[in-house]
Amino acid sequence: MELKLEYDKSLYGVEHEAGPFEVTEELIKRYCIATDETNKIFIDSEEAKKAGFSGLVAPPTMCTMFVRHVKLPDIKLNFGKNRFHAGQRVSTRLPIIAGDFLNASSHLKEVYPKTGRSGTMVFIVWETTFTNQEGQIVADVQESFATRE
Amino acid sequence: MSKNLLLRENNMSNEQILTQQFELGDEIGPLVIRATDVDVTNFCNLWGNEPPNRFTSIEVAKEAGLAEPIVPGIMSMALVAKLFNLCGGSQIIDDLDVVFRAAVPHNSDLHVTATVTDTRDEDGKNVLECDILMTGPEGQRYVIGTAVVSNKARS
Repeated sequence: MELKLEYDKSLYGVEHEAGPFEVTEELIKRYCIATDETNKIFIDSEEAKKAGFSGLVAPPTMCTMFVRHVKLPDIKLNFGKNRFHAGQRVSTRLPIIAGDFLNASSHLKEVYPKTGRSGTMVFIVWETTFTNQEGQIVADVQESFATRE
Repeated sequence: MSKNLLLRENNMSNEQILTQQFELGDEIGPLVIRATDVDVTNFCNLWGNEPPNRFTSIEVAKEAGLAEPIVPGIMSMALVAKLFNLCGGSQIIDDLDVVFRAAVPHNSDLHVTATVTDTRDEDGKNVLECDILMTGPEGQRYVIGTAVVSNKARS
């Protein structure tokens, strides 16, 4: 029997925004220390410029940290108790450079069930688009959360 | 001597090494890394998810049903991305898509590898598609996924 999911479908097409988030050299360097990133263009602005970038480059996964600051509503799903972080996706479009200001816009992408050996889980996927101060899209991030009964 | 080191001797840029010299079926890595308690705490502070939380506190982790504090998913993803520093520089990542199969522990060796599943020329760029795997010291599968990497144009 197909699982009938009930949740707040009016959330589709609604954007939730946050920002701007300032990308500073200090932020990039602290991120690199925490994740043991050693690529020179992420830790040395002169090396980044020699490599053809306009300044210190943020590692491609760094923008995922800002998603947390977007206030996402409860979708009021009628399934499951415990929710956990199931997956993450980053699609990069343009380099993010120290001095950039990023805006985030998130929307509910999809909600779907999946049944496997451990039973049925429901996945909730949110997609966030990051744009810089020029209005250019720099990255898309998808976060997937799963819930089990 | 590993393929990665051999290729470096030819004075190729890191991006060229990765995107021009790796072929279908080649393995990139392994990268062996650890996320220590201090690393995770620093990450959480930067992230805005300040301790104590299930990533830093054993009490909070147990209340959440975990045996011990775990590495945040987005931090695990950052550690996977670091693999591409080995020979290409992680600035060449076009797409990184990971699934968290099991909680990633602190202070434990994490083995990250990628296997090339496709190579192609696309709009003048050399593109590689890879399957990704992060495992523990006894082969526990923590993170799986895919990556698309290419030698990108500069800003």
